[in-house]
Amino acid sequence: MGCCRMKMVRAVIRPEAVDKVADCLEAGGFTALTRIEVFGRGKQKGIKVGNVVYDNLPKTMLMLVVGDDDVEKAVKIIEDGARTGNIGDGKIFVTSVEEAYTIRTGMRGL
Amino acid sequence: MKEVLAIIQMNKMEGTKDALEVIGIPSITVYKASGRGKQKGLQIPHPSQLDPSNKNMKFIPKRMISVMVEDEFVPAVVAVITKINRTGNYGDGRIFVCPVEESVRIRTGERGSVAIS
Repeated sequence: MGCCRMKMVRAVIRPEAVDKVADCLEAGGFTALTRIEVFGRGKQKGIKVGNVVYDNLPKTMLMLVVGDDDVEKAVKIIEDGARTGNIGDGKIFVTSVEEAYTIRTGMRGL
Repeated sequence: MKEVLAIIQMNKMEGTKDALEVIGIPSITVYKASGRGKQKGLQIPHPSQLDPSNKNMKFIPKRMISVMVEDEFVPAVVAVITKINRTGNYGDGRIFVCPVEESVRIRTGERGSVAIS
């Protein structure tokens, strides 16, 4: 259809890493992103402190839609920005997007 | 099946819900999202940011709605959301259409298109 293929990159990261990742993404040319506050746990089943298990840990999901060619770059930037080396750094998922529209103009494409 | 994900202005939420209901698609999921577009957020001082060197509001509060529909309804949903939300200003939002493989109605266990109709 003349417009490039797109992918949605969703990264569940530490809330405190958001500012750094957003700045790095902006520097890398990905200014547009959406942030959603979410709760979740990973395969470590949350955190256990004494007898209490915390399995709804607050995380932030960053969502951005990029062209197919930019996926690797965006994932790399998020990875580098969000990594502390500890468990709980988060996950990145890439899914496909078929169409995108700008509401202001009604135009197709990113 | 497709998922229509629309990121819109908060104050258009009611209108969008009503309009989708009118065309027969009352079931939606709403997320509280915040974000920015190509314009890098709002370039004005944000009251809660006391640091004077930080002049822009990086994340603007938005709503994200997710509508699961059959393939043939996608153009209608996109048209309705566009019509209600377009003001012509920056920040009107984006619509993304993504493929969905399966859906399940939890109450009955129905799968596929029955589950979203």
